[in-house]
Amino acid sequence: MPSSPASGSGRVLVHRVDAVLALALLALCGWLYYVSGQFDEPSAMLGDTIPPEFFPRLILWFIGGLALIMPFEHRVIPGAAEKLAQGREKPVAGMAYYSIVLLVLIVASMSLVGVALSMVFACFALPLLWGERRWKLIIPFAIFFPTLITILFAKVLKVFFHPGLIGFTLN
Amino acid sequence: MEAFLEGMTLLADFNIITVIFIGVLIGVVVGALPGLSSSMAVALLIPFTISMEPVPAISMMAALYCAGTFGGSITAILMNAPGAPPAMATALDGYPMARRGEGGRALGLAAVSSICGGVFSLVVFLIAAPWLAKVATSFRPMEYFALTVFALSMLASISGRSSLRNLIAGGVGILIGTVGIHLTTGIERYTFGVNELTEGINFIPVLIGLFATAELLNQSQTLHVAYERVTAAVVKLPSFKELWSLKITMLRSSCIGTFIGILPAEGATVAAIMGYNEAKRWSKTPEKFGTGTPEGIVGPEAANNAATGGAMVPTLALGIPGSGTTAVILAALIMHGLRPGPYLIRETPEFVYAIFGAMLIANIMFLFIGLGGAKLFSRITLIPPAILWPAVFVFAIIGSFASSSSIFDVWIMMISGIVGFVMLRHGFSPAPLVMGLILGAMVEESLSQSMIILDNEWWRLFESPISLLFFALTAVSLSWPLIARRKPKSSPPAGTDEAAD
Repeated sequence: MPSSPASGSGRVLVHRVDAVLALALLALCGWLYYVSGQFDEPSAMLGDTIPPEFFPRLILWFIGGLALIMPFEHRVIPGAAEKLAQGREKPVAGMAYYSIVLLVLIVASMSLVGVALSMVFACFALPLLWGERRWKLIIPFAIFFPTLITILFAKVLKVFFHPGLIGFTLN
Repeated sequence: MEAFLEGMTLLADFNIITVIFIGVLIGVVVGALPGLSSSMAVALLIPFTISMEPVPAISMMAALYCAGTFGGSITAILMNAPGAPPAMATALDGYPMARRGEGGRALGLAAVSSICGGVFSLVVFLIAAPWLAKVATSFRPMEYFALTVFALSMLASISGRSSLRNLIAGGVGILIGTVGIHLTTGIERYTFGVNELTEGINFIPVLIGLFATAELLNQSQTLHVAYERVTAAVVKLPSFKELWSLKITMLRSSCIGTFIGILPAEGATVAAIMGYNEAKRWSKTPEKFGTGTPEGIVGPEAANNAATGGAMVPTLALGIPGSGTTAVILAALIMHGLRPGPYLIRETPEFVYAIFGAMLIANIMFLFIGLGGAKLFSRITLIPPAILWPAVFVFAIIGSFASSSSIFDVWIMMISGIVGFVMLRHGFSPAPLVMGLILGAMVEESLSQSMIILDNEWWRLFESPISLLFFALTAVSLSWPLIARRKPKSSPPAGTDEAAD
């Protein structure tokens, strides 16, 4: 639990991490605003209508305006400092990064080995990554669980699963 | 009356009772498991219901919603590990009561107050939804625009770590909704030449990514957290005398929960916190709160389940989600070809009454399932996270893929999951993004129509008294987080800054 609220006097004016986040948001808004200028012009037959870029730009201004406040939120809004500190006291665990890489690899493998086999891969690799070493648990889980789910969707719900380049299909 | 009877007739089908039972079972299990939420479960369930008729599909999801809110109280009481955010307040008195050997009594109190709150809100739903829909049929695009702006502004007061970030997340959700072809002009927006983006970003993979994959990545950081478990003896239903002594608390919390649920974007979590706080404030023995007092369980549990019925009122009557989970249910309704809003009630009232009936049945079912299986459900937490979360990821892959048989959607799910993980870390809640995604199209459409009607004279948006009222409420809801934080108040339950349900 965070410690009792500190007075504002010892805290910096600009929260560094939030400033980086705000800059990233502003950069994204700026880029999307630029892209919106490249939208095609609507046909003259439509008359005086709201142009397609109007609404996205309105939202971008809204997001951008709020993002400007973000680096100062911990000072401006009462109680914000403690709440925002929750969950950010420790750095992101290495396991989260490894998990992201593995999940991306699993999804990337779908085009190669197909959806069904990639799910088997997920049920095998993710427990191992997360420290599970009971093979009597992992192997039946990795084989039977995705197989059952695939059969349910392929046979009962008639979903077609891409076999991938070297995968297999149940349909 | 005829429509009501027709709706009840729709439920008189063994298959529908079966799917409601399955929904309740899944809801209690999901609710009991820390890390899993009703929103996630409903999002993952959507692809399974593709081939179902709308009535059983939505009945199952509504039943899951009701049961999931109650399911969280099981682990909250027995392990001090609320399975669902709305159960956080229940843990404050439920766990101490369980520790002194009265876990069965605590579970009984939670179950009965949940059912009371749930049934109360459903009665309100039965009266309020048709009335609200009737009022809304007179709304012009200007009033609808003001209403949707008000609904989005409620994101600022949704529970979470930061109102500002909730609004930003909502804005991002609206922006995601602009990808694809602009319906008025036929112009492609933000497609970047990618064919799959021409029809917009499919919201199902986004939902699944934000709720399931993001939480999976979050959980990867706490793999070795162990929970101390209290063994529950036989679950005991409270005596009539005890229930009678708690009737005022139960009624008050049911009213609070129903009202909070009806407000757009608020949900069971906010309702539970307010139910607990008000129960403490009005109690004759407030000093006993936190030590295992029955009022500390009845207050939040009646409120959080009352919010489920309340949240369905704006969802079905106005097409505006009353909570995070109903935002997902709204997405499911759209996917099944239904148009939530006043026209749904006008054109297919029997459907709305069928949903009411399904939720009523679910409230009764989870009483028996929850009480009978409480010990079993608490043991579900023994499933190793290293097995549970890969299973969730398999559902996430299948769920994302199945809606359009597209690997592109699985990539959308993956990207949403990574973005959702970063969001969670930095105080952004996923529920507001989902709200923005769902409501964004309605906001743009009503604004476009309004501008056409008003000849682009935007100041005339404020001419209508109803619009003016909603804009005034918008100003209040945007400034409320600032006002509330400056006022001294009774301390909220610890750790209750999780995102809305």
